Amino acid sequence: MNWTIAPILFPLLTALLALLWGRNSATRRGLVAFSALGQLAVSLWLVKLTVDEPALVMGLGAWFPRVGIVLVVDLLSAVMLSLSSIVALAVLLFGFAETPVRREHPLRLPLVQFLVMGINLSFCTGDLFNLFVAFEIMLIASYALLTLEADDWDVRQAYPYVAVNMVASALFISACGLAYGLFGTLNFADIALRAPALSGDPRLQALALLLLAVFGVKAGIFPLYYWLPNSYPTLPMPLAALYSGMLTKVGVYVLLRVFGTVLPHDLHFAHGLLAWLAGLTMVLAVIGAISRNFIRGILSFHILSQIGFMVLAIGFFTPLSFAAAIFYITHHIVVKSSLFLICGTAICLNRTDDLDRMGNLWQRVPWLGVLFLCQALSLAGLPPLSGFWGKYLILVVGLEGKHYLLVAAAIVASILTLVSMLKIWNAAFWNETTAVPVLVEDRRWVAMTGVVAVLTLLSLGIGFGAEPVFRIARVAADRALDQAGYVNAVFAHHGKGAPLPVP
Amino acid sequence: MQIETALLVGVMFAAATYLILHRSFVKILFGFVVLSNAANLLVLSMSGSPEGRSAPVVVDGVVAMVDPLPQALILTAIVIGFGATAYLILLLYRLFLDQGTTNAAELYSQPQERRES
Repeated sequence: MNWTIAPILFPLLTALLALLWGRNSATRRGLVAFSALGQLAVSLWLVKLTVDEPALVMGLGAWFPRVGIVLVVDLLSAVMLSLSSIVALAVLLFGFAETPVRREHPLRLPLVQFLVMGINLSFCTGDLFNLFVAFEIMLIASYALLTLEADDWDVRQAYPYVAVNMVASALFISACGLAYGLFGTLNFADIALRAPALSGDPRLQALALLLLAVFGVKAGIFPLYYWLPNSYPTLPMPLAALYSGMLTKVGVYVLLRVFGTVLPHDLHFAHGLLAWLAGLTMVLAVIGAISRNFIRGILSFHILSQIGFMVLAIGFFTPLSFAAAIFYITHHIVVKSSLFLICGTAICLNRTDDLDRMGNLWQRVPWLGVLFLCQALSLAGLPPLSGFWGKYLILVVGLEGKHYLLVAAAIVASILTLVSMLKIWNAAFWNETTAVPVLVEDRRWVAMTGVVAVLTLLSLGIGFGAEPVFRIARVAADRALDQAGYVNAVFAHHGKGAPLPVP
Repeated sequence: MQIETALLVGVMFAAATYLILHRSFVKILFGFVVLSNAANLLVLSMSGSPEGRSAPVVVDGVVAMVDPLPQALILTAIVIGFGATAYLILLLYRLFLDQGTTNAAELYSQPQERRES
């Protein structure tokens, strides 16, 4: 059996079932959690399969790859699918612990499943236009979730998010059209096959820059990130964790895929631009984080700053830096989601995330403090936690390539990350103001902390088992950069429709 | 034909940008409608000039045909754009109901501080 489509079918069927079910109930929750578990199992199975095989291919409607749309899962996709399943499962369980069944919005679960479906489809697809469709599924579900439980202040923040992403969608569809005009195909493997003939063509450069702008909006690179830091804090906490963990990382994954696998490797201008924009993103976003005085705002800006590290690694464009980017994504998704969930638990205990009115958390719930410390120091990049290895690799590549300014920017950004994490630590955990109540009698926090603890153990595992994780990242990076291998794997797949001759 | 289409696409993108940067919700809305149509037209123009080509119906002794794929692409894109525009209308309407204004500048002139929860 071909499991390639399972990560899309699981959330789709669950979403439809949950929609038809209509009303909230413990059974419906159980069904959704069960499906999330199944999705996780399938994703891990796909990782196991793709470690040995270059890529799993499925032609939709059994058409030959050049004629129909293909789904391609290679190791990079499978790793991303596993991460998205882990985060989806964690935020579901956290949401169940946070909100009682009868107070949950009945549309939240189906919409989350549609969102996950869009995310998974963009990891699986092997076709540029299909990627556009995946992005739209993801975006429309995310618009709906953003305003589903919003009050009037939140809706005001939603408009920039929607506007910026709609413009990006229009640019993306234009880029699809231009790519079709240029290559005569939208299939990733076919583009990879035909693009080298256009090497040095200014149209190819222009297309690469247009795609860079489109995916830069999704990932949140420097001049294009305005939509993110004000809109994410308006989300309910479990959803904020899902958005922060996955949505921007889809943009980073697509940058890896398009610049690594699809477009030719000699687009040095675009790669250099990526690296410099990433350097600016890191520093400016972390300064933004320090300026904020509520945890959600600080963490939202940190997403951007960390995106800078990943994109910097992509911009350096060596096999080692791609491996570093994949390692960094793995580390970051787990750490960032759990930081948002820790913030959710803290809100549950302090009833606010305004740093001026928080406190006493270390005294009353030391375990939450320990979890926060692990994840915050990992985000800042202290050894031997997972963030350190990712940053170390990126800096090594940067020094090898003599990008001293960018390396300096990365170090400054790391130190400032530590400063802003200490700001949260001092105000929320170590602050012993007697006036601030910690509502430990509200027992929801126990289950919530449990979910976070599992994620923290996972991220500690990535830190202490950095070598096997990095080995997988290295293989994934090599496969993502191996265009010939990708093309062979896709076109080895048979299907209906005679192969068209290459013009 | 191609030049005219290219100019039209350029004008439409420019007009859409101009409208989106307006203050009035209605103009913003029309800006997004024009924007998505401009993008669709760009994709459509990628099938090349239709002059001297037949509709994509295969008969014996095939002559040059119009490439049907971009048309299939924009069909999908139109439907998606329709959904997104419908959402945008409701969002702007909700903003109008909440804030009692259809002027975007007025809406965001208040300081962006987080309100007290």
